Amino acid sequence: MTLRKFVSMIAGLALIAAVACGGGKEVPDYGDDEDDVIEQPAAGDTAAAAGTPAAAAPAAVANAATVTGLVKFEGAPVQMGSLQMGADPFCASTHQQPVKDEEVVLGPGGELANVLVYVKNAPAAPPNSTPALLDQKGCQYFPHVTAVQVGQPLNIKNSDNTLHNVHAMPETNRQFNEGQPVQGMVSTKKFDKVEMKPFRIKCDVHGWMKSYMAVLPHSWHGVSQANGNFTIANLPPGNYTLVAWHEKFGTQEQQVQVGPNEQKQVSFTFKG
Amino acid sequence: MKPQEPIPHNYPMSRLNAIFAISALVLLAVTGGIVFYDYVRGWKWFQMEFMRIQQERIEQELREKNDAETRAKLAALDKEMKERQVQIARHRSDLVAAQKDLDREEGRHYAADQDYRFAKALLDAKRYELESAIVKKSSSRKQKQREFDELSQRVENLNLRLQQVTRERDAARERVDVWLGRIKEVEDRRKELTAEIDLLNRQLFSVSRNRDFFILNAPMLDFVNPTMRVEQVVLNDLFIDMNYMSVPRVDRCQTCHRAIDRPGFESKAEAQRLIEDLRFKLDKNQFTKDKRAEAEERVAELERLLARPEILNPFRTHPKLDTFVGSASPHPMLDYGCTVCHRGQDRATEFSRAGHTPASGRMERRWKKTWFPFFPLPKDYTSRNYGWAANPFLETPMYPRQHYEAGCLKCHSNQVAVNGSDEITRATAMVELYGCHSCHKINNWRFSDLQKVGPTLDGIAEKTTPEWAFRWIANPHAFRSTTRMPAFFYGRNMVGPGVPAEERAQNIRFQDAEIHSIVAYLFSNSSNRQWQGGTGGDATRGKEIVERVGCLACHVDTETVTVDGKTRKALRTDFPLERNFGFNLVGTGTKTHAGWIYNWVKNPKNYDPHAPMPDLRLTDQEASDVTAYLVSLQKPGFMSQPIRPANPAAVRGLAKGYLINTMSTRDAEAKLDSMNLDEQLVYLGQRSIEKYGCYSCHDIKGFESLKPIGTELTIEGSKNPHLFDFGFVHDYEAWDHKHEHIIHTVPSWIYNKVREPRIYDDARTKPYNDKLKMPNFHLTPEEARLITSVVIGLTKERVNDSKLASMDARERLMEEGRKLVSQRNCRGCHVVDGYGRAIAPLIADTNFLPPDLSPQGRRTQSPWLFHFLKDPTVMKIRPWMNVRMPTFHFTDEETNRLVEYFAAAGQSPLFDMTRFNDPPARNVAIGREVYTMLRCAQCHLTTPVDPANPPMPNVADTTSLAPNLSLGRVRLRHDWIADWIRRPDEMIPGTRMPTNFPRSAETGEFTSPLGGAAIDGPGFAASKARLLPLFQNEEELRKTMSDAVALTNYLRDYIWSIGITNMREARPEADAPVMTVPQPPRTPPPTPLQTGEGAPSVSAPAMR
Repeated sequence: MTLRKFVSMIAGLALIAAVACGGGKEVPDYGDDEDDVIEQPAAGDTAAAAGTPAAAAPAAVANAATVTGLVKFEGAPVQMGSLQMGADPFCASTHQQPVKDEEVVLGPGGELANVLVYVKNAPAAPPNSTPALLDQKGCQYFPHVTAVQVGQPLNIKNSDNTLHNVHAMPETNRQFNEGQPVQGMVSTKKFDKVEMKPFRIKCDVHGWMKSYMAVLPHSWHGVSQANGNFTIANLPPGNYTLVAWHEKFGTQEQQVQVGPNEQKQVSFTFKG
Repeated sequence: MKPQEPIPHNYPMSRLNAIFAISALVLLAVTGGIVFYDYVRGWKWFQMEFMRIQQERIEQELREKNDAETRAKLAALDKEMKERQVQIARHRSDLVAAQKDLDREEGRHYAADQDYRFAKALLDAKRYELESAIVKKSSSRKQKQREFDELSQRVENLNLRLQQVTRERDAARERVDVWLGRIKEVEDRRKELTAEIDLLNRQLFSVSRNRDFFILNAPMLDFVNPTMRVEQVVLNDLFIDMNYMSVPRVDRCQTCHRAIDRPGFESKAEAQRLIEDLRFKLDKNQFTKDKRAEAEERVAELERLLARPEILNPFRTHPKLDTFVGSASPHPMLDYGCTVCHRGQDRATEFSRAGHTPASGRMERRWKKTWFPFFPLPKDYTSRNYGWAANPFLETPMYPRQHYEAGCLKCHSNQVAVNGSDEITRATAMVELYGCHSCHKINNWRFSDLQKVGPTLDGIAEKTTPEWAFRWIANPHAFRSTTRMPAFFYGRNMVGPGVPAEERAQNIRFQDAEIHSIVAYLFSNSSNRQWQGGTGGDATRGKEIVERVGCLACHVDTETVTVDGKTRKALRTDFPLERNFGFNLVGTGTKTHAGWIYNWVKNPKNYDPHAPMPDLRLTDQEASDVTAYLVSLQKPGFMSQPIRPANPAAVRGLAKGYLINTMSTRDAEAKLDSMNLDEQLVYLGQRSIEKYGCYSCHDIKGFESLKPIGTELTIEGSKNPHLFDFGFVHDYEAWDHKHEHIIHTVPSWIYNKVREPRIYDDARTKPYNDKLKMPNFHLTPEEARLITSVVIGLTKERVNDSKLASMDARERLMEEGRKLVSQRNCRGCHVVDGYGRAIAPLIADTNFLPPDLSPQGRRTQSPWLFHFLKDPTVMKIRPWMNVRMPTFHFTDEETNRLVEYFAAAGQSPLFDMTRFNDPPARNVAIGREVYTMLRCAQCHLTTPVDPANPPMPNVADTTSLAPNLSLGRVRLRHDWIADWIRRPDEMIPGTRMPTNFPRSAETGEFTSPLGGAAIDGPGFAASKARLLPLFQNEEELRKTMSDAVALTNYLRDYIWSIGITNMREARPEADAPVMTVPQPPRTPPPTPLQTGEGAPSVSAPAMR
């Protein structure tokens, strides 16, 4: 082992040199230690760099554009059955006529309601502290489909004089299941992760009650109304991918370019 | 004065001078070299690098702290300070006068104080004189008394004066302080503002290379108090084996692994994991107020970590600090050190000598590399090249990183579960499931009473045909790709590409003969009952039953999987371990016949009393349907593979080889001449079963008392590399066409051995019977890695009892129960100890999932659990369930073991007598009202029902899918009910039972939905009216309504009051078999075999 000793000695000299020179100043280009490839830069670093909200959008959007649109359905009209609310007399008593299942809500001209349209590649947005509302009324969720922003408070209200339980079943965010036995009760929840694919919120007491919710990193989204119209307001100019989601008919994407103060019209068509 | 004559010299002086000068220089250089050698060590580079990392971090934090806002505030303070100083300067004369005044007063105070003290001392002396005079009755005592009184008076006066002077001094001081205080107040504010910055600056000083650093660490001076030094942990009761002697371990790993016990240097993955963990608890409001702030602070810190560049080893924090290394963990560093788990040379501080082991060939190449050929320079360390060479004198090199958890087994090998999330838990379960222990003896293993992993072969003739058996033994993976039966024949050392053609043909003849002989032996020694029944079923219904009742918790029913859009043959690792517990159902119809299947699914114990499969209580019709379905599962083409007939010369040759071990060649020949081919085959079969150790995994008649054939593995992890035959191979292609590389370490040898067991025969010339015979399990890289972790974890190193986890009576009970849980594969359906439920992905609706048993011991009463385990038909709690709890036909002893285990795991007493106590009527009345107000009846029924046969609810109506509460009293524990109502989601995550008493975000306490003004709502008017008489006044009522704990206790009392108190006891019944009278075994064996379609082929079967 004499060679080793000699080697260590010389190495020592080199070390002294390093100390004297103030050491290596350059930042070492390490790979991920748990991956023995050292040539490539650590994936996490670049991701982190890309994810830094360096160019956070200003609070008030200058030259904001508005995207409005129409969602239509093509194909044989889908007839939805009525919701059987007989299991809870209270629910049945709140409606004069049977309520149609809200899975597919079609207008006379094929306008499709309850389609969530959101911007997929939007710039980072400031946090939103205005609470969103999910109401349980007449043993139905209002709105049936919606989106909240990450960290935005969500008030869940029970307007019915019956027991509801709010069982949110997100995949990325945390599940919760809270009972609301008292009329007028409000629980406030937050989601801390982006979950673009809408997840289900259900009531275990009333099997027909369903609502869908997406958690977006921003608030640029709209939900089509009974007339098929939706609006995404206050959008900074730029090139975007719009995503339209429907609980039965799936997802569609569309590229749009919006200029300063533009009123952009788009349309989506789902096929049955 | 000049010497008169020259002094005579024997040597030429000038040459001598030169020699002296040179040797002095050489000695100086050598001394310098020694100093350098002693001074300069690799670890110092790591310490300096860590200082640099800290320095960068502190500088960044300083920049963040010292932002514009802070600077502005500081500037404002400085300005204020200046103003006040100016103000003071303006009134300078006043201040000076006041100061002078104070000085004078201080002087007076000092003088007065002194006077008083001296007088007081004098008084004490006088008191003594007086007292002694009184005792001695001296004549001068009157005189003394007078003097004492006078002095007392004087002291009193002096004291008064001192008080007066003190007051005047304090007044003077206050006059000065008014001036100075103005400055001091600003100074204090400034200090407060810069406290964090000052702290950071102090920290920065300690990690930067300043003048102090160079002086303290200078060569020769660094013995005093160096900042760079070897850090060590002395472990007096953990020993390392140093050739014939055990010495206490002194772990110096922390010398380079600086941040190992210091949070804040986690890898990003670990940071992410910790954030998840904390967020979960924060979301669920599981913190008290102070802890909450602490947790939020920690999350923020970890998130900052995510934004920084990745920290790399050796500077990372140890993962899972709450389990390892951390001072509050079960393995604190000061008590356990590092090398007791990781192995390696404890005292070494140099990279190679410490025993670092590369994880792969790639890592090995990187470690070995240096820029300068002979030794690493700082430049190399920066690119993580260490000039590594294996330390051949180290008996215990470190475990490479993919086998870190091997170290757990040193202390925990006799434990069933260390922690459900740990790899080693899965690895040990895998070793047992695949039956490694069957052929390889392992002492100190957690189970000493394991069943054989293969099915019994005593009745093979009842089940299948010799034609199927031959093809199965020849290539089990061709029949079922996920099978645990390994391939013994036609391996790469027999028919592989490296084997010469002539030898290959001979090997094939031998292998054929051996398979024929094994089949002949098995069938000639099999019982031969004729199983009947199972006709008239419907395969479609049968498939539906198999998918519905829970068969797929233990069995897989497919051989193809689609991953990322690509369809391929399934591997065992495509399914949870628990679903590989039973055989893959594919091809069952090809393997066996309806009569056998029917009786097997009706009650497996009829065929084999030790069968691990439980009884699912199928009706005759259900069993017939299942039979029809399983018969329809055919493996087309399998039975038409050609079988070559046994070559008589090969049979004779092999048999002779065995015979001549015990008799002369002539006797052997004579004996063989006296046997026909069938007899020779049976004889050779017996020998071949012995050779390959089939009896290790299967019950075979005639092999009841034989010992396992494999190498004992008890201390395999302690063997040195030179005890392993690495052969000639470095790179090869494994059975799944993946490239593998062998490095010269024990873990690598074992990994490649289990991955491709015959690999070390490549390029070897060995006689037929000496060739490696370990069979090929077709292990994936992942499986091979896990099994290697277990094998290298089996070492001869022993740890002091003081450092072993001590098992008290409760823990021993739990271990016993866990064994049964693992042996009966309970985790196929249930979550036990927080993990399991392999069947979950197959059940879409969570309402139909088998229950989570983690809180079982706290949940149910022992008598109920006993009867339910013995006979699950005693009570149907959830009649809507499709999956059936099978009847395991547990013995009373086994049932009690499980009951005790659950009670112990739930930290509950085995029995509680509350079942017989009726709750107070007032509590019940309040409970009933709260039950109404919270609308529990929306889902739960309370009408008493027959426990064994409750009415089937309307499954489409989810409201009715809640247990009937009248079953609570015989089943649930009294304390559980209230606790469950308070926090269902914490007990069983994802449960349908809603949280009605959510925790407050601030305090972490439970809140009540009936608290506050809720009770005044119009909906509750009637309830309030009924409740008021039960309370002293409205205030008490309001208080109770906002008290979650009280409310849940009332609810519990109400539920208790409506419960039935009796249920029937267990009556497990077994279905009787359907078969004809047993017949004697068939002899002679059925040879020759039917050879299927096509002519006998002499070409070798595919190698793999």
